Amino acid sequence: MDAIEKELDRLVGKANLSNSLKDIDGCLELLMAARATIEADSSTAGATLSSLETQLKAGFDQTNDSLKEVYTGLNKYGKALDKKFKPVSMSDYDVLSTHQPLINRAIGMHLLREGNFDIAETFIAEADLAATIPPTLESDFRDMYRIKEALRVRDLGPAIEWAANRREQLEARGSNLEFELHRLQYVVYLFGGGEDGPRKALEYSRREFLPFQQKYLTEISKLAGALLWREKMPNSPYAELLNSGAAWSAVADSFTSEFCSLLNLAAESPLYVAATAGAIALPTLLKMTSIMKEKKTEWTSRNELPVEIPLPDRYKFHSIFVCPVSKEQTTDLNPPMMIPCGHVLAKDSLQKLSRSGNRFKCPYCPADSLPKDAREIYL
Amino acid sequence: MAQKSAASLNPETHLLLDQPLLRLPHEVLRKVFKSSQKYVEQDSKKISDLAREAASKANNGASPDASLAAINTMITRMQGLKRKMETQHEEEKLVHSQLRKRTTHLNDLYSLTSLLDDGYGKWSKVRLDRLLVDYMLRNGYSESAKRLAHEKDIEGLVDINVFLQCWSIEESLRQKSTVECLAWCQDNKNALKKIKSTLEFELRLQQYIELVRSRKLSEAVIYARRHLSGNFDSHKDDFHRASCMLAFPPERPGPYKDLYAESRWDHLVKTFVTTHHNLYNIPQGPLLHVALSAGLSALKTPSCHSTLPSSRSNTASSVTSLCPICSTELNDLAIHVPYGHHTTSWVEHDLVVLPNGRVYGTRRLEDLASKLGLAAGKVKDPVTAEEWDSEEVRKVFIS
Repeated sequence: MDAIEKELDRLVGKANLSNSLKDIDGCLELLMAARATIEADSSTAGATLSSLETQLKAGFDQTNDSLKEVYTGLNKYGKALDKKFKPVSMSDYDVLSTHQPLINRAIGMHLLREGNFDIAETFIAEADLAATIPPTLESDFRDMYRIKEALRVRDLGPAIEWAANRREQLEARGSNLEFELHRLQYVVYLFGGGEDGPRKALEYSRREFLPFQQKYLTEISKLAGALLWREKMPNSPYAELLNSGAAWSAVADSFTSEFCSLLNLAAESPLYVAATAGAIALPTLLKMTSIMKEKKTEWTSRNELPVEIPLPDRYKFHSIFVCPVSKEQTTDLNPPMMIPCGHVLAKDSLQKLSRSGNRFKCPYCPADSLPKDAREIYL
Repeated sequence: MAQKSAASLNPETHLLLDQPLLRLPHEVLRKVFKSSQKYVEQDSKKISDLAREAASKANNGASPDASLAAINTMITRMQGLKRKMETQHEEEKLVHSQLRKRTTHLNDLYSLTSLLDDGYGKWSKVRLDRLLVDYMLRNGYSESAKRLAHEKDIEGLVDINVFLQCWSIEESLRQKSTVECLAWCQDNKNALKKIKSTLEFELRLQQYIELVRSRKLSEAVIYARRHLSGNFDSHKDDFHRASCMLAFPPERPGPYKDLYAESRWDHLVKTFVTTHHNLYNIPQGPLLHVALSAGLSALKTPSCHSTLPSSRSNTASSVTSLCPICSTELNDLAIHVPYGHHTTSWVEHDLVVLPNGRVYGTRRLEDLASKLGLAAGKVKDPVTAEEWDSEEVRKVFIS
């Protein structure tokens, strides 16, 4: 990049049209001066014009020289670019060009989920998407951003209301979001309510903690204890509750994640995750394609990439089982099978190992078993 | 160790997708330079001629008024040149400032070393916005593109004007007008000649076909003589066929059905766009397609379109987050790409299998049990919500 920046500096600094413009101004002055001279003394017209001709020629030569400098600058910049970036043909990786409607829909949903409602509206109209996007998605996400905005200004009310209305769904998912929200509210009263704080907190806990009494008994008694320790908080076992900045952002994250999950959507924009993973994957794919081109094979026609893309763990989601015998990933048609000793093989491998249902030895341990005792497992 | 290397960021290869960012402005600058050079060449020649002429006339006894008039003509011309050059210089400055923003943006990546950095996430968000604007512009969603670029403050990182012009010419071709595209060819005459583009010939041929279609035969012949015959050597076959089609009216096109075909206009649009992108050194398709094709494949697993609910990355419980490929936004789209290749299994620690055959990590089951407030010794399947005694759970080994 340094080389490119250096060439850019040259372009901005001197290899631009400003010098030619100065030269042109110079020529213009020559013309003006000649006119003034002739106006002052018409007898000099012949001589003035003759010298003007020569001066102008020099002026234009100068202009062209200045232009040449621009040309050189641009060439150097171009060379720096070529040196830095090997030209690559990207079209090999475009297997989506025939799926514009689906891409449009993904973008429309992305804009809504990111809270860019105005842009989303324009895009949905321009790309004529209204029929393909879930009709309530916009109002859902508007709701989400309204509640998140309230959280940002430290108002828990809307979030608590939202969670209370979905208590059953949230509980079934094992989510303790509602309790976490109440807990934070309690802490806010306790430490932010001034003289009156403890009383407010106590009232709040009596009013709101009841439905959670059974499940969160230890948490609740800890919170009640904080009432006594309020003054000496920094040294108390409840000190962690004081660290409310972190508590607020944790609650906001957990709210976003629950909110999206209830809509059956991923918490982070899938379009963002996919585009980022794509940028991470491309160098590997480019390398592979150049190799495959030599061998005259195509990858787009297959149902599996021919090369492994190293992705950080945060870009991994489902469990992956690669059969230790066949080295293939298991699929619906060739699912993972657990044999009685607890080891797992792909179904195809199992059948090959056992040949017509005979007893076979586990590839991992000395145990042998019958294929009929193997059972399909779901990862 | 594997995780460490997978998370390391190599800006050199990572920027492959982004080179059009610096290439397109370079082409625009070259265009600016070429126009400027042309202006200077034309006007300086004209003014020099005028000066020579005026000098010789003045020395041969022309009146001082005639000399002054000649000088005034030169001044007007010179001022005209200055104005044109100023316009070019303004555009040049604009492109320079764009380039500055772009190199800064790309350089930002060099200060990061890990894909797990917050900074990388931010950078990647900007990249996605760029890719989206590029996609929108190429598909003619111009208002959306402008709004997105404006709102995200990335106007310096996207090429709105170039694509808007391209789109408006595409649209005019779709409306069956060749005027705008021919004007563009005129503007880029030398560059087109250099890459031996047939675009202009094709446009002229189409114009001719339209005259023949409306049976203005004599006009068609005159048009062909003026605009097509110059290319006779390089387009002999086209030329012969074009002449012969005069004898076949559109109702009975005979062997000239293809020349009369409406689809020729689509072909012209495609030819124009290909030529345009070649000239500006930009990829033919949206880079979003490239990024997504690669990204969807890298993320996709056989579980993503399975009929069976995956034990992991579903929305059934709060202890997992949904896989992006399984999320509504991308699921249908991802059907069309191959899934990722893996050579090693990737599973949770301490796997156990429930009586229903579903496999989970022990920690996750314990987490869920405590969050649900289950009685001691009970576990619950996070996906199917079935409940079992812990004794019914057994270990499973995946290496």
